[in-house]
Amino acid sequence: MWGKGLITGMKVTWGHWFGKKETVYYPEEKLPMTERFRGGHLAFDEEKCIGCKLCAISCPNAALDLTVSVDENKKRHMESYVHRIGRCMYCDLCIEACPTKAITWDKNYEFASYFKEDMTYDALVEARNRRGNNE
Amino acid sequence: MAQTEKYVLNMGPQHPSTHGVLQVQVELDGENIVGAKPVMGYLHRGIEKLMESRTYVQCVPFTDRLDYVSAMNNNLGFCMAVEKLAGIEVPERAEYIRVICAELNRIASHHVFIGSLTNDLGSATGMIYAFRDREKILDLFNIICGARMTAHYIRIGGVAADAQDEFLRDTQKFIDYVPEMLDEYNKLFSGNEIFQARMKKTSIITKEMALKFGMSGPNIRASGVDYDIRKIDKYGAYGKFDFDVPLGKRGDNWDRYMIRMKEIAESAKIIQQALDNMPEGPYMAKVPKVLRPPKGDAYHRVENTRGELGFYIVSDGSTKPYRVHIRRPSFVNLQALDTMCKGMLLADAVTAFATIDPLMGEVDC
Repeated sequence: MWGKGLITGMKVTWGHWFGKKETVYYPEEKLPMTERFRGGHLAFDEEKCIGCKLCAISCPNAALDLTVSVDENKKRHMESYVHRIGRCMYCDLCIEACPTKAITWDKNYEFASYFKEDMTYDALVEARNRRGNNE
Repeated sequence: MAQTEKYVLNMGPQHPSTHGVLQVQVELDGENIVGAKPVMGYLHRGIEKLMESRTYVQCVPFTDRLDYVSAMNNNLGFCMAVEKLAGIEVPERAEYIRVICAELNRIASHHVFIGSLTNDLGSATGMIYAFRDREKILDLFNIICGARMTAHYIRIGGVAADAQDEFLRDTQKFIDYVPEMLDEYNKLFSGNEIFQARMKKTSIITKEMALKFGMSGPNIRASGVDYDIRKIDKYGAYGKFDFDVPLGKRGDNWDRYMIRMKEIAESAKIIQQALDNMPEGPYMAKVPKVLRPPKGDAYHRVENTRGELGFYIVSDGSTKPYRVHIRRPSFVNLQALDTMCKGMLLADAVTAFATIDPLMGEVDC
């Protein structure tokens, strides 16, 4: 009978009036990010960093721009840690390359911006600000 | 006296901000199509050239951006080509995880096919159903690698991280759900008379034509050619699994749709076998930190969601590939568009385009 398939299809859609909701009310309700989630800004740990620049070398798109200074004891210090989000592919190669695990993703995915300048930030400044706020 | 003439209509989307940008110049005689010429290049990023200036490890995330709805399969193709070139042995557990991820990605990609097809045929509801289920797979990818689409999970020598129990448990849950999901799709679309009328006996590609065009993947199998690289080459762990290759008879739009529905069930069968026999052991082979494959070249092909995806890599013994060429199935399959559209009505061009299932990231590369 012509139309039988249409009615069967309608039954499926009507059945969902009574089912469980598949969506969440963003932004009131947010989905939890997974443990391995790659996204957001880089959370930089100044104390762990040894200034080896392996992260910048491993980046396929040169998204990391680092300035390292060497003191009189030949110890390396990070002066700036600029991350250009516009170039970043979130491939995780920088984080995997880090021998001391000094960088991680901060997992905050809400960083869309109106201006191009906001897509470049210094992870070192952000880390110091965060520490200043905590103290 | 009335005068008639043929005219050319540009079918889009062509705006640079949209993701799949293909222009089709459709030559029309009234509402009948006389010719359809795809114009591409809007999404060209020069990935082959970009790879020449990156190390082998750095090349892998670029393959995610080729066919961005089946990134795992692209990763697999490139990594296997490099492994062939450098003579790297992959641990068994990694091979199994790779198969699970590649097949999950095949299902997710077929969800996009079903969703966009039903949407193009005027049923936006259909798209929501397919995308609801695709979301379940993307969530699984989010657990295992932290990304939903651009996975960059399969690496040279194995996989980036071991599969957690949570991932394996949730994958099993999804596989248990697949029969119910397919039943719902069959009730919703396959049985629908309007859907059938639009799909059956339209845009037929015969066996001979499909072979002449060099088509591959579900599109050639819909024409009745038994050509599945998973069966022919048995690459990776595919030789260990038992699965069928669904074939079509007529090569029309309906067959191309049904093949993909059947492939979802077959992929689920493969994943189930992989989950049941998952071996223990390392997930990554010992790969030197600075990878320098010996001088020479290698070609490796995998069965991507859209057909035969091949990577040809030439090495000059340095850390970067001298040349990479990618054989992209969508690009080759798109040749058939003109033949499929000739003699059809304008509305059928949309259906023909949807059932070829080209992905512009891969066409333009």
